[in-house]
Amino acid sequence: MGLIAIGAGLAIGLAAIGPGIGQGLAAAKALEGMARQPEAAGMLRTNMILSFAFMESLSIYGLLIAFLLFAKM
Amino acid sequence: MFDTLNEMGISNGMITSMGITIFLCVVAIIAGRNLKLVPSGMQNAVEWAIGSLYNFYEGIMGKEACKRYFPLVASLFIYILFCNYSGLLPGSGHISGLAPPTASINCTMALAVVAFVSMIAVGIGSHHGLSYFRHWLQPFAFLLPLMMLEDLVKPVSLTLRLYGNVYGEETITSVFFDMLPVGLPVIMQAFSVLMGLIQALVFSLLTAIYIKEAMPEDEEHL
Repeated sequence: MGLIAIGAGLAIGLAAIGPGIGQGLAAAKALEGMARQPEAAGMLRTNMILSFAFMESLSIYGLLIAFLLFAKM
Repeated sequence: MFDTLNEMGISNGMITSMGITIFLCVVAIIAGRNLKLVPSGMQNAVEWAIGSLYNFYEGIMGKEACKRYFPLVASLFIYILFCNYSGLLPGSGHISGLAPPTASINCTMALAVVAFVSMIAVGIGSHHGLSYFRHWLQPFAFLLPLMMLEDLVKPVSLTLRLYGNVYGEETITSVFFDMLPVGLPVIMQAFSVLMGLIQALVFSLLTAIYIKEAMPEDEEHL
């Protein structure tokens, strides 16, 4: 019971680390590109959101596992 | 009335989804009833929305593909957007007959299957037959299981991304509501206005990219 709670917390907590770092790096580079070349901002924004979606889905998997564990309690 | 439907196995999300469909149809019929060359009012608003969507997808899919498959991806975008925003209505998820359809895995899986089947259909159609599946054997034939897996995981990730985001957001909002009913949920609701738009955009954007990837490369230059 207690272990399930810890597991649920860890599942989403650990799953948030990687995408957090990755999205930070991607956003930093995209903003750098936008500042350097404002006319490409539209295209950069679209691709940035798209790459965010791929990274975010990883932490969404963690969130789903956390919910599944939570429902078991 | 809704309780009777619920007992028959029709969930609140399905009722809301039906309501959204009827609403979108009514808007489309009213906007397109008597078309004028110089638009005004409703026709103007809808034309602006569709026009800006068209320009957006044209930049991603290219001219030829966008002309052919714009109706599919734009319908997906508009439908998912309204589904996500139905979670922002007062009482959504707690009163009968009103719940965001995309917070149920059945709805998102159906949408992902539509996207996946249309990707395969476009691939087979534009390659004139089963030579579409030759891309599984490139660059090396022994990578076949990996390439098949890469394609087959697409509908799964589309399903889980949309479902996880909307369901997670609904759950977190209700947890915040339990913690502090005043003020705190408003922040999450404001955040989900943005997230609903981004998730609808991402789903249709990925569908557009999958369809474009399924088409042969040289189509673009014709």
